[in-house]
Amino acid sequence: MDVYVNSSSMIPIDRYYEYDIYDLVIEAYKNLEGEYDVNDIDLVLVANAYSQRLNNTSLIAPKVVEKIGKPNIPSIKVDNADASGGAALFTAYSMIKSGLANSVLVIGVEKQSDFPSKYLYDVVASNLEDYMYYNGITTHSIAALLMKQYMKKYSVGREYFANWAVKMHKNAVENPFAYLRFTVDLNTVINSQVVSDPIRLFDIGARADGAAILLLSNKKVDTSVKIDKIFSTQAKYDFNPSLPSIRMLKERLGIKVNDKTGIEIHDSYSIMAALMLEELGISESGKSLYNLDNINVNLGGGLKARGYAGGASAIYQVAEAHMQLLGSFKGKKASVEEYFVVSSDDLGIVSYGINLTR
Amino acid sequence: MKIAPPQVWRNKRFMYKLIASKCEKCGNISFPYSPYCAKCGSKNVKKIETSGKGRLISYTVSYQSRDGYEKGLPNVVGLIKLDEGVEIVAPIVDVDLDKLQEGARVEATLRRVYTDSYNGLIQYGIKFRVAEDENR
Repeated sequence: MDVYVNSSSMIPIDRYYEYDIYDLVIEAYKNLEGEYDVNDIDLVLVANAYSQRLNNTSLIAPKVVEKIGKPNIPSIKVDNADASGGAALFTAYSMIKSGLANSVLVIGVEKQSDFPSKYLYDVVASNLEDYMYYNGITTHSIAALLMKQYMKKYSVGREYFANWAVKMHKNAVENPFAYLRFTVDLNTVINSQVVSDPIRLFDIGARADGAAILLLSNKKVDTSVKIDKIFSTQAKYDFNPSLPSIRMLKERLGIKVNDKTGIEIHDSYSIMAALMLEELGISESGKSLYNLDNINVNLGGGLKARGYAGGASAIYQVAEAHMQLLGSFKGKKASVEEYFVVSSDDLGIVSYGINLTR
Repeated sequence: MKIAPPQVWRNKRFMYKLIASKCEKCGNISFPYSPYCAKCGSKNVKKIETSGKGRLISYTVSYQSRDGYEKGLPNVVGLIKLDEGVEIVAPIVDVDLDKLQEGARVEATLRRVYTDSYNGLIQYGIKFRVAEDENR
């Protein structure tokens, strides 16, 4: 049985002080278009990572379906930190493929802007191993150590990583759903605020609020994009530096990239972008961020500039891929026939790879 | 309340000591301790207490803290290879940033990590400092 993405929807990632977490979903749900009948939905999956601590709400999935007027549709929250969206898609795909459901609505939502960043960092740091969490360490510091090791291994400087931010902001300018729609130059990035040396402000995905929705079904319609493959991997990063979970995805997805291929990666940090492109075999090790104009990567601006909606990130990524493959994306377009989406957590421990074709 | 005394007591194997696992099958050492090897999955694992001494592979100076950790800014976080061969990430204290060098010998020290002012509780943990025998 084949599985299709039949409809997609999203709201711009932003700081929505006037909206609560349910309002974000409602706004995205209003925008859901395409051929589907809500009465055919068998299950709703809500991808969300931090609502218990950031929004003081548990049992979020049944609350969400009640708010969108479908209180009797079964619902489940799927949480695998910032890879929650990938986990929800993997679950929805499995449910349809196995025949347990015909149609699943996958909602990604995260509301991260209500508190000062030091509180948000504390929440996100709970993704780290317990001994690091209790010692006050941040995910930024882990990314910084990975970046330093990379700089030593490949003899590259700060300007190498700045290429990623420059490219992502350039892409985001055209994307009406992007959070940071402005261009930056190399000097601005290189001289931006030091967060955890050598990580600077522009090396970090911009966390904010967002909601995106996908309708998955076993019925093919005019707006369908097929999910050809979806895989889940997990393995801890190492300070070689490398991301074994992404390397495993490469082998399973059988990635071959050409100018008709679109790529979406989880660029929580510029170092993660470099490592992912290299572990996926798309770029040469130590050189991935030099030739970004030659690949269709993160055309909407990525987590860096489109915005980092936590556990909803993969739903945004696949929604963009769906729109790109249909030719309906309102941002920077590419004539693509195939998409590879990589959903991951902040540091690439848990990863999901999704291959989509028209 | 941020500090839960039962959690601190339960986590003493990594908050007050550096207890690791040594796999008798593949030789892998992993920290914190687990009864199963993180590399090969074997349950033939021995609990070892590491020496707390090692070498600084790399470090980062962090200028943004988490909620409640502001007093330590800027925080120095080190990637340390313990003499037993396992790599860990931990805070570095008593640092003269101008003199701190990669490759320095470091040793574990017990320090205050977090203060729960509401309940008057203090959480301690293991940090590292440059060892007196750093030139060895």
